[in-house]
Amino acid sequence: MRIFNRIVVVLLLVGLIVLGAYTVVYSFELFGRRLSDLSAVLNGFASGTESFVGDVENGSLPILTIALLVAIALLGLVLLLMELKPPRPRRVRMQSGTYVTPDVVRDEVSSAAEEIPSVLGSSTKVQAKRRPGAKVNLQADVRRGEDTNTIKSDLRERVQQHLARTGVPLSKLKLKLVEADPRQTKTRVQ
Amino acid sequence: MADGILDLARAASEAALATEGVYSLGTGRYAEAATYEGSEKVSGVVVTSDEVEIHIVASYPLTRPIPELAQLIRERVAPEAGSRRTSVVVEDIEVAHEDL
Repeated sequence: MRIFNRIVVVLLLVGLIVLGAYTVVYSFELFGRRLSDLSAVLNGFASGTESFVGDVENGSLPILTIALLVAIALLGLVLLLMELKPPRPRRVRMQSGTYVTPDVVRDEVSSAAEEIPSVLGSSTKVQAKRRPGAKVNLQADVRRGEDTNTIKSDLRERVQQHLARTGVPLSKLKLKLVEADPRQTKTRVQ
Repeated sequence: MADGILDLARAASEAALATEGVYSLGTGRYAEAATYEGSEKVSGVVVTSDEVEIHIVASYPLTRPIPELAQLIRERVAPEAGSRRTSVVVEDIEVAHEDL
């Protein structure tokens, strides 16, 4: 379920719970509440709404209320756009009629990255894009004090070459090098 | 050309498995990839009215780039698929164990 649907359902369920609780309280006259008092509550609500609508019509709303209404409208717009946006594909499109799962791309990127001796371990995130190709975020563990610029360019070249060999199109490659203790990385160093 | 969808699925499955570089057929990652008819099913191939989707596990090391492998499978399946579009989904790459 997408975020917009989730928010709508949560609000609906909260409303139903509150309404149910009020019904029980007023029906069984709990906490000194009686059904006859309900008309006063509803009248209060109606007069509050009436005065709010009156203020809107007169253009005399407080700045804070205007800001709140604008924020709600913007939030609604953002949620609507998110809902209208087509979902991201689950498979990486290579060319017409050929797909690979993100797991395959992840494994290939990891194996290419870990071929470099300075890389002690890696973690890869792959996102399929609507157009052919995958967005890859690669985090590689290196020893402290290594020349990160050289490793980064080696890594980029190696991954790009490897994916080109396997035929997986790469739409974006984001690299991050993390200095790590070699005793705690995947490739352990004594 | 195969008559029923199950025959087509079987033919596509055999053609895909006979292609060099295909280790096995995949079973689907997010939903089962199979074709059902009656009480029978063929795993790894999804046949619909306008498409034949073949899920494969490629052999490691790759003998050729994945797009070429997919094209080879498509060419082998084309005579059976007729007017249906053929898609190839590579689900995994598996180390091929050679018989000693």
